[in-house]
Parts: sequence; structure tokens; C-alpha cells
Amino acid sequence: MSGPITVTDEANSLSHVHSAPDNAPRKSYTLATITFIYLLWSLVPVAIAVLFSFNSGRSRSVWQGFSLRWYIWDPEGSVLHNESLRSAVVHTLVLGVITTAIVVPLGVLFALALDRWRGRVPSGASFAVLLSFVVPEIALAIGLLFMITWLATPFELGTTAQVIGLITFQLSYPVVIVRARLLTIGTHYEEAARDLGASPLGAVRRVLLPMLYPAIFVSAILVFADVLDNFVLVRYLSANAASETTSMKIYNTARAAPTPALNAIATLILLASFAVVILGYLAYRKWGRGQGEEGTGLGSMAAM
Amino acid sequence: MSEEQQPIRPVSRRRLLQASALAIPTAGVLAACARGSGGGSGGGGASESASATSLQLASPTNPVKWPIAADNQPIASGLEPEQGATLQIYNYADYLNPEVVTAFEKKYEKYGVKVAVSTFNDYSEALAKIRTGTTPFDVYFPSYDAIGKLVTASLIRPLQHSYITNIGNVFPSFQNPWYDLEWQYTVPYVLYTTGMGWRADKIAEDVGARPNPYDIFWDPKYREKIAVLDDYREVIGMSLLRNGGTDVNTGDEAQLNAARDAMLLMNQTTKPKVTITGYTDIPEGRTDLSLVWSGDMIAAVQYLPEGTKADILRYWFPPSGKGLVNNDLIVALKGGNNPVLSHLFINFMLDTEIATKNMAFVGYQPPQVALTPEALVAAGLIPENLKPAVVLPSYFDVGYRQLELSPELEAKYQAIWQQFKAGG
Amino acid sequence: MRRSRLLWPVLGMPAIAWMAVFFLIPLYVVLCVAFGKVDPVFRSAIPVWNPLEWSFTQLAIVVDRLVGPDNFYLPPVLRTIAYVVIAVAACLLIAFPVAWFTARHAGSHKALVLTLLVAPFWISYMMRMLAWVNLLQNDGWVNKVISLNGLLPTEQAWLSGRPTTVILGLIYGYVPYMILPLFAALDRISPSLLEAARDLGAGGFDVFRRVILPMSIPGVAAGMLLVCLPMMGDYFTNDLLSGSPGTSMIGNLINNSITTPGQSGQAAALLLIVLVVLSVPMIWYTRSTARSEVRS
Repeated sequence: MSGPITVTDEANSLSHVHSAPDNAPRKSYTLATITFIYLLWSLVPVAIAVLFSFNSGRSRSVWQGFSLRWYIWDPEGSVLHNESLRSAVVHTLVLGVITTAIVVPLGVLFALALDRWRGRVPSGASFAVLLSFVVPEIALAIGLLFMITWLATPFELGTTAQVIGLITFQLSYPVVIVRARLLTIGTHYEEAARDLGASPLGAVRRVLLPMLYPAIFVSAILVFADVLDNFVLVRYLSANAASETTSMKIYNTARAAPTPALNAIATLILLASFAVVILGYLAYRKWGRGQGEEGTGLGSMAAM
Repeated sequence: MSEEQQPIRPVSRRRLLQASALAIPTAGVLAACARGSGGGSGGGGASESASATSLQLASPTNPVKWPIAADNQPIASGLEPEQGATLQIYNYADYLNPEVVTAFEKKYEKYGVKVAVSTFNDYSEALAKIRTGTTPFDVYFPSYDAIGKLVTASLIRPLQHSYITNIGNVFPSFQNPWYDLEWQYTVPYVLYTTGMGWRADKIAEDVGARPNPYDIFWDPKYREKIAVLDDYREVIGMSLLRNGGTDVNTGDEAQLNAARDAMLLMNQTTKPKVTITGYTDIPEGRTDLSLVWSGDMIAAVQYLPEGTKADILRYWFPPSGKGLVNNDLIVALKGGNNPVLSHLFINFMLDTEIATKNMAFVGYQPPQVALTPEALVAAGLIPENLKPAVVLPSYFDVGYRQLELSPELEAKYQAIWQQFKAGG
Repeated sequence: MRRSRLLWPVLGMPAIAWMAVFFLIPLYVVLCVAFGKVDPVFRSAIPVWNPLEWSFTQLAIVVDRLVGPDNFYLPPVLRTIAYVVIAVAACLLIAFPVAWFTARHAGSHKALVLTLLVAPFWISYMMRMLAWVNLLQNDGWVNKVISLNGLLPTEQAWLSGRPTTVILGLIYGYVPYMILPLFAALDRISPSLLEAARDLGAGGFDVFRRVILPMSIPGVAAGMLLVCLPMMGDYFTNDLLSGSPGTSMIGNLINNSITTPGQSGQAAALLLIVLVVLSVPMIWYTRSTARSEVRS
């Protein structure tokens, strides 16, 4: 990423070893060890869970040999043959796609409006979006559940309600990320386009939007991955077996009698998430090159 | 550009007040489009009358023949099943054999029938969801302690008996049960007792030999090793019995308080888990002993780790029969879209062969005349060491049954449960 | 010019309408349930839409259970605060060195370390908990390691209502949310500033105390908030890793009551109290984010 900068950074601290009273490299060994242990602690349990999805036996703690039994072969319990497991995976991905497809355009337009439109309405709306990011999810979930239960809304519990809840909860991602990018872009390009005779909408569409593609992309990936992860909203707003997601399946069966097939569906969702992130990263690098804004995505994610 | 970059204004109190003033007219709009508080699919009128009438409560000494409302008549006889429909079943997890579901789909293959099973964790949650009427479930498996509410709110359909020819297979007493005289709305699903299940290699003592076997839940020796059912009636009922009570539906303040105190003491001394997964936790060794339903222990045989023999499983229920004895029902929900298929499914479940097949998976015993205790053991459905888990018809004469409670009493029971679950 | 002024409201309207309908109204409905009535037969909640007719019965019950003589809501509340304080402190202790290392000392491995730090974001929370449920079984790998694969007779029942397990679960689940904002804040500190401090004679600890620490405050605050807020509403970590009333948290209290007949209103009222208490940090965070966005 920001390789060259870090190298000089390191060189600087090395050159100061003699003059500085403390011993920087020694300290960084301790820190490196802590970081290494942290990363092990953070990722190895998940790696073990993935490993056990390939167990040939029923156990999730005793390794009985490698097999794709819980993915393909088991006639009752495998993801391929067990309708409820399969539908949980499919439904999770469907929610991810639908939500992303709606929330990203909605959020991008909103970010544009918030960035340029001054007044009470937009600043209030901006406040609401940021608030929606920190309000405990359970509050929004219960509110929506109550609303759909007691108001004669045309929406029903199930996929529709889940998508509505997820859109509301995820809207802040594209808004925050795209706004951050808009602030760095400024208004010059757009003004230039206007001077050359473009209409306001044309300037946005032809000039501003292409410059926003990387940010839009990053937010789409974030939203997608976060929807796959969602549990609280989708559980409260679910209706029946058809609207059960992988997270719910894990919650409902982790304490009962799970087989490694449960690890298998979790692994599949993990793969889907990683695939999208890697694809996104590759595309992002392609776009990001020449714009000198590689840090934006991570930076704004970190800032949130 | 910098001129345009005004800081976003902080929200002042005045603006918050303005916002809340806006909320008042909004309230009117919201009220206008409020759903009827009753269930059903959008019918608000019936629920008004439901709230007005008080709840009728059935008991063995007060058998009830439920009314059939003019707008909720049984379906006509001889109708064709719905074409290409998906029968929506709402049930506990692992409480219906998937093979039975497949067999049903196969039997009605030419109508393109599909079955979807949705699951819930406890009856309160299930009833709340059914009442919202937002999901059209067809078939539901309630306990009879909710039947008054289900009928009063018009949530279930009266059955058209002409579809349910297999009713003759069940114990005669269930063909005219006190909770639904003339089985107008329900058929019986399974029978169960509530007792204790454990693995003999984990618990050395003979639990039944204790002067008061229920005391084991308060024995500090088993701290962090035991569990109780995630069901408010079962745990409160067990605590009442442990305290020497004989009425598990009591409204007596002193007895209820004593039961509550006992439950809180249990939290302190043994820290039980609260779960309905004893049927896997015990065989797999996660819990040493648990308050379970008899069917759980029979199902537990399938969950034993490879290489562990079934003869280490134990179940205790008072041999006198003076314990908790209940049965679950199958009903057709009024909100469902497939009334004919619902009837066909109910009839299917009462078929002796299907009921037996279902028991092989769920462990719960159907009230089939053909399935005598001897037949159950002979057929290998119940291993010898789990014979106490067989539900004898005589239990229904001497055992204690959980009846539907009045709303006020129900609130008291729920509050005790909430206090217990808060872990004070 | 007029068209331009109209353009932004037109672009923003769909999202504003969306937030009004699906964010503000649901929160208002929570109010209507909390201040509503209870159906006498089914004991289900009956929301009251008109604020002038709101009843405070449910709220009074909740307040009574919090601070009245029968205060059985208090133990889970205190427990939640204790768990969250310990977990947030532990998250900070873990996250600070990790973020500092990544920002300052990772060198050419920076991109790799950062990628690995972000990885938990792409792994679902439930899967991460499932991983621990498997490891913490009685015959799981944790016990195998502790007992040196059966040599020592220590069989720990980790999943039997242990506060330690729940707190560790919370730390494990939320610590990534602490690391990233901290990293962002620490990464921003210019190396030349630290050099300057050293050149002016500050020792290692002085640099940390007088330069790094003050400059990392915004990141620390944001990180603490981002892990603290979701923990306050968390019920599933406890459900999966304990399942015993002995470790019930506020989230469990709300989640258990929300569908119980007669208790929806109390759940809503409790949620409301939690929201009011949390609104202070939430609004602070929202405002400071809004400001820093404008400033950057």
C-alpha cells in the first residue's frame, strides 16, 4: 500500500537509534509479538472451524479425516441435500445482493445531496444517518418489528422486512464513504464542467460520478459483507424457514445438535465474503491507480 | 468553497422540541393505519369482541366444547387439495421427522405439494408471531394450555372430520378430550411427561432414590453441570412440586412466592442452564443432568457419540405417576392459505405407520392405540433402560396437567419466569 | 442556477423519505408501545399513537424493577455494566499495542498486517462465536490443550454459565472495531513530531504520555464507543456461550421479554431507558463525526 513512505519511516527510526535514549527496535519486538499473538488468537479459531467443516465424522472437535461429506455427499445433512441449510445460504446471499443494489444508489445520491445542499433538512438528515450508525441494532430491529406488526404497512415480515431493515441500517456506509471522497474532490471539476456548458445533472453524471466510482465500490463491498454478517435485524424481521439466514441458522442450532454442516454453511458465506472483497480490491486497485487515493476506503472505514 | 463549509449545526433543544411537536400530528396518521390488535389476516372486527369476552378455561373437571363462529366454519368435504402449494408448518426444532415430511410430499406429489417447516424456541414467541398474522402458517403444534386463546382469537380453524379418517387410531380418551370436546379444533400429536434425564456414567447416584428427587437441582455438588427446560410452566411447575405442592396451576400467592424463591436459590446454588436442547446436551456430555421431557431422552439415543452405548441413558419420572403429564396437539391455523392440505397433513400424522416413523426421530410417543408400552420396547423404539420414559395412559388419571391460566395468573407466572431468567 | 438549487433536494429526497419512514417512525412506534396499553385477554401490547394519551404504567413497572423493592432488573444491569467495562478495557489494552505496531513498526509488512486485522470484519460474528463454541466444548480443543491432551484431569465446563467465557466472547467479538479507529488515529501522528519530541529531550515514556496519548484520544474515544454501544444490546454472545440466567445481560432481558405476552411494553420501556442513557455518547459521537467530516 503506502510502501515507500513506511520504508523511509522505518529508516528514520533506525537512524535515530543512536541518538534516541530508548531502544526503538527492541520495543517493536515486544509489540510485534503482541500483534502476532493477537492475530493468531483472532484468526486461528475461525480456521479451525473451517477445517472441521471438512470433517468426515459428525464431531466438531474430533478430527476423523478429510471429506466433503457435509458439503456434498451426506444424503440428509449436507448443504447440497439439506433444503434448510441450502436455503439459508441462498437467502443470505440474496439479501446481500438486493440490499446492496438498493442501498448504494440511495446512499450515493444522498451523499451528493448532503454535500451540496445547505439547510436544516439536510443537516437533520445527516444527523439521522450518523445516528442510525450508532443506535444499537436491537432498537431499530424492535422498532421495525413493532411497526410492521402493528401498523397496516404493506410490508410483511420476511424478506421484504429484512431488506427494509438492512437498507436503513446500512445506509450510513455509502453516505459516509462517498461524502469523505466528495470532500477531497471539492467542487472545481464540477464547476469547470459547468463552465464548459454541462447541465448540473450532466456535470454530476459525467464528471463527479466517475471520480466517485472507487468510493462507491468500497461502500458496496462493505455493505454486502456486513449484510452477510447481520443477525439481530434479520432475526427479528424474519417470518419462516424461507427467511432464515446463515447467522440465524448458527444461532438456532449451535447449541442444539449441529453437525459440521453448520460449519460448512458458515464457511461458504465466509468464502462469498472474501471473494467479493478480493474482487473488489483488484477492481479498486485498477480504478484507484492514478487517483492517489488508495487509503480512502480503509481510512474512512477506520474513521467510522 | 470554504464559505460553503459551514459546520453542521448541533441539534439544539429547541429543534428537538420542534421535532417532537411534529410527532403529534404524525400520531394521528399512524393511528389511522394501525393494524387491528387481534390476529387473523387483517380482520380487526373479530379481535374487538375477543378482547371483550373473558377467556374460557378448560380443565378435566370443566370440559369445554368450544363455540364455532359463523365466520369460521369448517371447510366443505371432498375438496381437492391446493395445487402446487407450499404447506407452511410452524413447530419446535427437531419436533417432526424430516422423512415424514418427505413422505407427505411424495404421497401428494401429483398436486405438487411442498412443505416448509419453520421453527420457534418457545410457545410465547410462537403465539406472538401467529397473532401478528403476517405469515400465513398452515399447521401448528400447540399445547392445550393455549387453546382458549387460539379459539377466542379465531386463530385456528374448526376441523372438517370427513378428511380425518385416522382419528380412530388414537386413544379413545383423545377422541373426546376435555380441552376440546368432540375434537372440533384439535387432534392429539404426542404425549410426554416431564422428568429428569441423565447419563449414568456422569451421575453416580440413583436420582430416584432421593427422598425428594427434585432436590438434585439445588444440590451444590452439581453446580454448572445441570440444566432446566426453557419453559416457564415446566420450571415453575417442577418447583411447586418440589416444595410439596400438588397444584401446578395454583394461584396461591404463598406457594408461588415460595416457588419463585426456590428458583432464585437454584440460580445461586447450581447455576443451571436454561435450554430445550437436553436431548443432545445429555448424550453428548455437555450437561450431566437436566429437567427434560420424556421424548427428549428417547431422542437422545440418536445423539450419543459413536461408541457410547445407549444403556447409560436414564430417565426418572415419579413411578406413582404424580408428575407433570401433558400432550401436544396439531391444529390448522386460520391464517393459512392451504386448508385442505392442512387437513390431509393432520390425517397423515395420525396414520399409525407414519406416527411410529415420526416417533423414531422425535422420540415423542404418539397416542396410538397400537403403540402399547410393550409394543414400543419390542419395536426397539424405546430401549429397556428408558422404560420410565414411556407415557402410560394411567398417568393421565393421576398426573398433574398444565392448564390454561387466566390472563392475570399468566402474568404472574411470566413475571416469576422473567425474574428467574434475569439471574438475580 | 435555479435548476442547480433544485437538483440536490431531488437527489436527497428518496433517502430522506426513507429515513423518515423506516428510521424515525419505528423509533416512534417503540415509544407508542412503551407508553401503550396491554390487551386484557392476550396480554399483547396495544400501542397508543397519540402522545397525549400515553400511559406511564409500563415505564413505572420497569423503573420499579430497576430501583424499587423488587429490583430484579438491577442485577443484569449491573452485570452488563461490569462485563462491558471489563471487555472495553481489555479491548483497549489489546488494541493499543496492535494498532501502534501496525501504524509505526510494521514496516514492509504493514499492508499484510492491516489485511489480517481487517479480516474479522469479513467473517460473520456468528461464525466467530461458533468457532469458540466448538473449541470450548467439554471435549473441545481448549480443554485438550489445558489438560495437555488428557494428562491432567482438568475438565473445565467453559460453556456452563461462566462470566469469564462471556466476557472473553465479547472481547473476541468486538476488539476489531476498536483496532481500526485506533490505527487510523495513530497512523495520523506524524513521525517528525515524535522525532521533534525526542530531539527536545523527551524520554520514551514522556513521548508516549505527552504526545502519542493525547493525540490518540479521538481514536480511543471512537473505538470505545464503537465496541461499547453494540455490547449494551448484545444478547446472542451470552446465549451462545452461556445459556444460563447467571450471566444474563440487558440485551437478554429485552430479548426475552419482547415476545412474551404482557411484557412487550416493558421491553420497549427498558429499551427506551437504555437509549436515553446511551444517547449522550451517541449524540456526542455523531456530532464529533459530523464536525470532523466538515473539517477534513
